[in-house]
Amino acid sequence: MVWPLTPVRPLPLSPSMIQLFHVSKYYDRRVALSDVTLEIEKGEFVLLMGPSGAGKSTLLKLLIGAERPEEGQILIQGRSLSKLRSSEIPLLRRKVGVVLQDFRLLPKKTVFDNVSLPLLVQGASTAEIRRKVAEALRAVGLDHKKDHVPSGLSTGEQQRICIARAIVNGPIMLLADEPTGNLDPELTSEIIDLFKSINARGTTIIVATHDPNVLAQVSRRVITLDQGRVVSQEQVCS
Amino acid sequence: MFVRRLLYLLREAVANVLTNRTTTVVAVATTAFTFACVGVFLLLYVNLRAMASSLEQDIEVMVYLQDDLTEQMRREIEQQLKADRAVGSLTFVSKERALADFQTQFPSESHLLQGLGQNPLPASFVITFAVESRSSEAMQRWATRAQSISGVTQVQYNQEWVEALAGMVRYIEVAAIIVGVILSAASVTIIANTIRLALYSRREEIEILGLIGASTTFIRVPYLLEGAALGLLGSALSLVILKAGFELFRHEIRSASRFLGVDALLTFFPLDMCLVLVCVGLFLGCAGSFLSLLRFGEGRV
Ligand SMILES: Nc1ncnc2c1ncn2[C@@H]1O[C@H](COP(=O)(O)OP(=O)(O)O)[C@@H](O)[C@H]1O
Ligand SMILES: [Mg+2]
Repeated sequence: MVWPLTPVRPLPLSPSMIQLFHVSKYYDRRVALSDVTLEIEKGEFVLLMGPSGAGKSTLLKLLIGAERPEEGQILIQGRSLSKLRSSEIPLLRRKVGVVLQDFRLLPKKTVFDNVSLPLLVQGASTAEIRRKVAEALRAVGLDHKKDHVPSGLSTGEQQRICIARAIVNGPIMLLADEPTGNLDPELTSEIIDLFKSINARGTTIIVATHDPNVLAQVSRRVITLDQGRVVSQEQVCS
Repeated sequence: MFVRRLLYLLREAVANVLTNRTTTVVAVATTAFTFACVGVFLLLYVNLRAMASSLEQDIEVMVYLQDDLTEQMRREIEQQLKADRAVGSLTFVSKERALADFQTQFPSESHLLQGLGQNPLPASFVITFAVESRSSEAMQRWATRAQSISGVTQVQYNQEWVEALAGMVRYIEVAAIIVGVILSAASVTIIANTIRLALYSRREEIEILGLIGASTTFIRVPYLLEGAALGLLGSALSLVILKAGFELFRHEIRSASRFLGVDALLTFFPLDMCLVLVCVGLFLGCAGSFLSLLRFGEGRV
């Protein structure tokens, strides 16, 4: 299967980037997501807000096939995730960049090796790896740190390396789970600016956070979850 | 770029081994020890079988003939025996020849026969078997058949010897199989545990690889390589241990003069069998890490 970079159908009929129809997810009998229906268009920058335990991380995990919903349908670019064979999930993930909460860097590998990993696993050529890693590191402003190991970098820098790794493959969308969780307000705005510039190049972005600092800086669509339900969807304008 | 990925995977496998150095050494040592235990039985089996077949080679069967056979009848019997595919070689021993042999073998007892006036020893054919018919069952069947030829009084061979040896070889064979299966399972478990430790210590990395779109195969290969390497090293080391033990044993036997000549009969595994054993080790190592991968990922890794 080839994951289409561009919509398969012409624009008026083209499917949204992400569509969820009545999606529910349970862990044992506890509800993590309940009857969630929403749609995210290509190129959108969406904030996923809500208190801890609201189901934000669960929603992101569903989008990359790390968890499967008990009920409902999830479509990415019009393709149903439930119809994916398990061997096709890696192909989906190569098109989706992730910066997850506990998604750390490999401590013994250099920045270059860490960022090149997504390219390596799909068999890119050496020249392609060099070029794309340099590009991604430049985008996050850390191309001069490529030979360092992660432990020699600050928290903010490490997070930017994670973002570089997430975008190195030119993903159709970028999912970030609490990307500013352990950063101070100044670094937070740095990271948000980075997301904005990535979004400006056309990548769909979904950031899950309960951090009001992020909300203050992003005047985009906000989807709020609580106890697994969508409680509001609003366009925030500043 | 296949080569680049392969290099990466090899480097990962080596890194696995180096980070868990102690468990690796312990795993190789225990695997080597278990393989060596199986090896002892195999060696015993190989040597006894070699001995058995060399003894079977020497076995002669006597077909005794009636005293009053005409030359014509003796010829017919000889033709019939020679036509049999089981018969390797055949020698005729006349009554006179039998007597002469007896007298040279037992000079002090020769007066016993002289007292009888005429030669009491029967004429016979001395037969050795063709290679493919040297098993004890084949001989037994053949003996019964030969017995029924008219003019033959008796067929004799050292039955107990052949059967006892064949029985012993069969027992050792069964024992080697049982011990081999049990200890192979043990070494698979040992390797599986080592791989599980490696998987556990690198679970975060494995998760990361999965999230950035690495295929299941890509994630698994370094651990399969590690398991294969453990099995290979373990079995190779066990062969070294066995060879050392074997040489020591042979040396002891050589210096104990009672067993003069026995040491020359002892053989170690031939080279091709050594290669097979190392490959078996490699395969068991792969099996061990595969088990761990299945249990670790429950289908996900
Ligand atoms: N792997 C899991 N096993 C069991 N329960 C889980 C698991 N992951 C999440 N949950 C539960 O699902 C609910 C939603 O969790 P999560 O999606 O992590 O919320 P958020 O990211 O908004 O804090 C919580 O009640 C949480 O306890
Ligand atoms: Mg969360």
